[in-house]
Amino acid sequence: MSTPSPIPPPNDRRSSRASSNAGPPSSNLNVPSEPSDLLVVGGPPSSPSPLALRASNSPSSKRRKSRAAKVPPDVHMLEYVSACDSNLVCLICHSPFDRPVKLPCEHYFCRECVDHAWDAQQEDLRSCPTCRTKVDPQKDLSPVPRIIETMLDELVVKCPNTKTGCDWVDQRVNVHDHVMLYCEYTLVECPSTDCRLPISQKDFHKGCLHSTVSCEHCHASLMKKDLEVGSVMSICPNRSTNCPHCFIELLRLDLKPHVKDVCPMVSIPCSGAIVGCKVTAERIEVEEHEKTCPMATMAPFFREQQARVERSEARLDPLSRKIGILEDGLTNITSMLYPANGNDSSFPVTNPLDPNSSEAFPPASLMPTPDFRLPPASFPPVPQSSDTTQAQPPFDSQVHHLLTLHESLRDEVSRVSNALTELEGRTSMTIMNENQRVKEDMLHTNAAINGMRMQLHWLMSATLQQRSASAAGSSTARAGSSTGPSASGSGTQGASSRASATFRAPIRRLSDSTRQDVKL
Amino acid sequence: MALPKRIIKETERLMNEPVPGISAVPHEDNLRYFDVTIDGPSQSPYEGGLFKLELFLPDDYPMTPPKIRFLTKIYHPNIDRLGRICLDVLKSNWSPALQIRTILLSIQALLGAPNPDDPLANDVAQKWKEDQNAAIETARQWTQEHAKP
Ligand SMILES: [Zn+2]
Ligand SMILES: [Zn+2]
Ligand SMILES: [Zn+2]
Ligand SMILES: [Zn+2]
Ligand SMILES: [Zn+2]
Ligand SMILES: [Zn+2]
Ligand SMILES: [Zn+2]
Repeated sequence: MSTPSPIPPPNDRRSSRASSNAGPPSSNLNVPSEPSDLLVVGGPPSSPSPLALRASNSPSSKRRKSRAAKVPPDVHMLEYVSACDSNLVCLICHSPFDRPVKLPCEHYFCRECVDHAWDAQQEDLRSCPTCRTKVDPQKDLSPVPRIIETMLDELVVKCPNTKTGCDWVDQRVNVHDHVMLYCEYTLVECPSTDCRLPISQKDFHKGCLHSTVSCEHCHASLMKKDLEVGSVMSICPNRSTNCPHCFIELLRLDLKPHVKDVCPMVSIPCSGAIVGCKVTAERIEVEEHEKTCPMATMAPFFREQQARVERSEARLDPLSRKIGILEDGLTNITSMLYPANGNDSSFPVTNPLDPNSSEAFPPASLMPTPDFRLPPASFPPVPQSSDTTQAQPPFDSQVHHLLTLHESLRDEVSRVSNALTELEGRTSMTIMNENQRVKEDMLHTNAAINGMRMQLHWLMSATLQQRSASAAGSSTARAGSSTGPSASGSGTQGASSRASATFRAPIRRLSDSTRQDVKL
Repeated sequence: MALPKRIIKETERLMNEPVPGISAVPHEDNLRYFDVTIDGPSQSPYEGGLFKLELFLPDDYPMTPPKIRFLTKIYHPNIDRLGRICLDVLKSNWSPALQIRTILLSIQALLGAPNPDDPLANDVAQKWKEDQNAAIETARQWTQEHAKP
């Protein structure tokens, strides 16, 4: 591991213990053991990292003394070889006491822990965390009995650099000296004056190892120090290694796939585990077991089923969202349509959708008010609209929904207007038929009237002729009688009165007959 | 931020030596967040119920108390509608010497001994004082309804 970034600048490492908790020494030290960023290239003197540059520019870089850079071990982070007597454990940090103090109530705590606890309390309310007896931190703290100190000193701990390779194990009292003086794995500053990166104590005499070199096996770039400490053996993918399970020799590169898929000795679960088989054994045995395990035979189906369910569930989510949008749109539309035209128009196709329809249906905008009598031929917009939606998929679903609604309304209207025209045609046909019949009737009647008129005329003329003939006869008779003076006056009077009567009668009869004609 | 050793130790102990009737399991992605269940104590209206709680350890734990809340609905004078618990050790009387296990035991004890004189849910406390038998009956019904294991 060679990346400089996770390593705090030396100034930080020289600071107080409290702040060193944030980046405990062990986390600095195990840096080289984590194989991840092999490819990071850099480090002085060839190419100083920004961190190193900043560090060497800082004023404190003048007073550098490599050994002073060591970090004392944090007792709270130490690992104990065996479990410790619970009487020696601090109730606040749950670790064996570190520099304990005694409160007046005979309760013990690490100095640091109890200070920290009191920091969180109000000044005049400080009390023992265990029994809540009031404590004055200025006066009431006293040292713990000597025997406690001794017991704590004799606890056996591991070196904090265990992870980077130190196998020192000893009494806790010695850990400080070991880390600060003897441990070869404690980090110190690089001996090079230009370089301020940390290096293990044991490599200190080798000079700066922070220049970049390339591995002879895989040509990855890495820092010389990593090459030196031998961790390259555990990093380089092209070096051979042994499988930890079956001890076969193979390239590190191939180790992972080997363990995952091939190694007969690695212990794996039965492939029926997904259905509930509890068997876990070495691959060889599991393969034997799977031949008979019913759950292993079921597993592939089950897995496929599960994958299908997952896929369906994944598809369900967008669908339900879409439904939600559609429902919203639908309620919007219903609320737009029904309360808006409660009065008269049962064909709301025109108004509310105009902004969309004028865009999506150019023909609709050409004939702005599609009224009742639109001939069926004027409804091509329906298929056309579906064409446009296909041609322009990026409609969002709400617009699309509006369009569908619009279309269906259009269909409705065209159906209604078709029915209307049909009805109209049928009505006019009936009317025409009726008219025809009436006209024929009238013709018949006229013909009958004419016939009767002719007959009447003939009768009348016959009667008149008869009358005039008889009148001529009587006038000659009158002329003959008027010679007698006595009878002449009365005779004329009687004749004229008779004549007037006869003249009057046919007139009356005529008028009667005409009146009868009119009635017919 | 690294998990303090104390939290690791407490968690290990909770897993290895669980308290009878109480379980606390940390989330995999956040080791300061615990799913807690508490069995209703016997001889109480909560007997037979399994109550879920959530517990969170703030950054300065153990210097400040853990934050705990009931997730299961419960009829109790010291627990309000949102599941917040009125318990002195969770507030002013917190001490860093207390720990998750002791706090959960205190909560279990609170279920067994409601204290209507220091109420959080005022209406419940009122009922509890006026007609204790009816209140206990309600608590029993709620347990049947909401805290079925
Ligand atoms: Zn402590
Ligand atoms: Zn005390
Ligand atoms: Zn060491
Ligand atoms: Zn160097
Ligand atoms: Zn290599
Ligand atoms: Zn193998
Ligand atoms: Zn099996």
